[in-house]
Amino acid sequence: MNAVFKKELHTYFNTLSGYVFLGFFVLINAYFFSQINIGGGNSDYSSTLTYTFSMFLILIPVLTMRLFAEEVRQRTDQLLYTSPISVWKIVFGKFFAAASVFLIGTAVTALFPVIMSYYGEVNFTQTFSCFLGYFLLGAALISVGLFISVLTDNQIIAAVGTFAAVFFILMMDGIIKSMPDDPFSSAVFTAMVIIFISFVLYSGTKNIIVSVIFSVICIVAEAGVYLYDNSVFESLIAKTLEWFSVVNHFESFYMGIFKLSDIVYYSSFIFVFLYVTVNTIEKRRWR
Amino acid sequence: MIEVKNLTKVYGRNVAVDNISFVVGDGEIVGFLGPNGAGKTTTMNIMTGYISATKGDVDINGYNILKEPEKAKKQIGYLPDTPPLYGDMRVCEYLNFVCDIKGVSKDKRKDMLNEIYNIVKIKDVEKRVIKNLSKGYRQRVGLAQALVGFPDVLILDEPTVGLDPKQIIEMREVIKELGQRHTVILSSHILSEVNAVCDKIIIINNGKIAVKLNTKDFENMSSDLFNIRFKANKPADEILRIFEKFKPVYNGEEEKGTFDFLLYKEEKKDCREEIFNISAENNLPVLMFKPVIFSLEDLFLKVINEDYSENDIITTNGKEEV
Repeated sequence: MNAVFKKELHTYFNTLSGYVFLGFFVLINAYFFSQINIGGGNSDYSSTLTYTFSMFLILIPVLTMRLFAEEVRQRTDQLLYTSPISVWKIVFGKFFAAASVFLIGTAVTALFPVIMSYYGEVNFTQTFSCFLGYFLLGAALISVGLFISVLTDNQIIAAVGTFAAVFFILMMDGIIKSMPDDPFSSAVFTAMVIIFISFVLYSGTKNIIVSVIFSVICIVAEAGVYLYDNSVFESLIAKTLEWFSVVNHFESFYMGIFKLSDIVYYSSFIFVFLYVTVNTIEKRRWR
Repeated sequence: MIEVKNLTKVYGRNVAVDNISFVVGDGEIVGFLGPNGAGKTTTMNIMTGYISATKGDVDINGYNILKEPEKAKKQIGYLPDTPPLYGDMRVCEYLNFVCDIKGVSKDKRKDMLNEIYNIVKIKDVEKRVIKNLSKGYRQRVGLAQALVGFPDVLILDEPTVGLDPKQIIEMREVIKELGQRHTVILSSHILSEVNAVCDKIIIINNGKIAVKLNTKDFENMSSDLFNIRFKANKPADEILRIFEKFKPVYNGEEEKGTFDFLLYKEEKKDCREEIFNISAENNLPVLMFKPVIFSLEDLFLKVINEDYSENDIITTNGKEEV
């Protein structure tokens, strides 16, 4: 893992992408810092951080678009996958390298509240908690970008895909509110998810009987539950989509509260995406 | 030692590799020969663990590539058809990275890299950025990458593609030298190359092994087969009678009124004089008289043009029709 990590960091700072990321990251943060904190005379840096979320749309793709797409294009994936090193180590190495560049940027902007503390009072506990949440949020988005990068050998497509995914995730709160919350729509939604899973099952096993039986059993079970007690389905769509709402879980950090559940949430979100990435690579090689 | 057992790879409906089995002993240089799309690269990609097989097993020094991938991959150095190079790295940085992922310890690294630089002759470009190198140098850096850690088995997919004639000869020398310490499998569609470098040849066509043979046997075979192609304008049965002791094989009527024969001589001795004398005694006008040397090219073309099965492996006693 160390080898891949070192190589990726080296590539970030050997090509422009690392400098582009850090330059824009610090520039945008400094802009909001000067507007909100210095210009507005406000010593609360936490709210400044929340203003910078929209820059993730551009900056996360800058960090992640190259990671796997470029390996496939250059055929260097052949070197990686025929080396005595597991796919997990490769994926972790790449993830930690991207997360480290993000961490460097975050560490530079962490100087802003320190500077502020010379001229006024800064709540350091809350600011620190907010920075921790900020880093976890960024890392979660990086894991999504990493996954999208493995789907294509074209950096531009990876970048646009990551942009769309980050946009979707940042807009999640609004999307959740517009979803119907009556039991019937939720039941339809669940049925669609079941059909989707059966389709994935079919594309994986090429066994139509098993996937049809699977979907029939699941839908019958679902119908049974629905007829027995349809309150189970109330606002199920919102609850499901909420899992993807990375921003929602930032709230407690923002308020200066360390909630273990949120740290676990971010860690598992990242883990799930790294797991899917590893599986996508393995599956492609098994096809 | 490499053991490949019943290897099959199916892409959708297309069978890329069809039930291939072979064994490569320690220190052998084996050449994979076949037309484009025959399944050479696919077989190599499976052997190195880059892709999986639909069916079958690959054991490298006793380690199964699927069950113990990390141990098996440690035994292999692989040069794919496109050298896997990071364009924005310097040659030395790149090889250091390869050392890292192959787990070469820091104290051995310097000596080993120096040795590799000498073998593939890239010392002078050590500090250059890879994307600025010429194709020949890239190929050499690719080979250097495969050599890192000096694995027991080297798998080289078309190692001489894109090299100039001088470099090709150098590369062959390098491979021959490597063959003294490593087991080497290389693929090529250049016949003379395989003939010059390899101990064994495996010809693959349409995903199947068409022929396996030792180059030594083959050399003996082509000189043993002291065949004469013979054209005369007497009736076929008369010629058959005259040359009875040569066991002539009728070879068609190329020109109207003439007959083509192939004459074989059992003993390894020049029989041209004898044939001339017999013809003269029998007053037989000789229209053509030509020794036929059976080359690898003939074999290759024969194999890829016909439906050839493994059972038809050329026998070495010289009876094969040419």
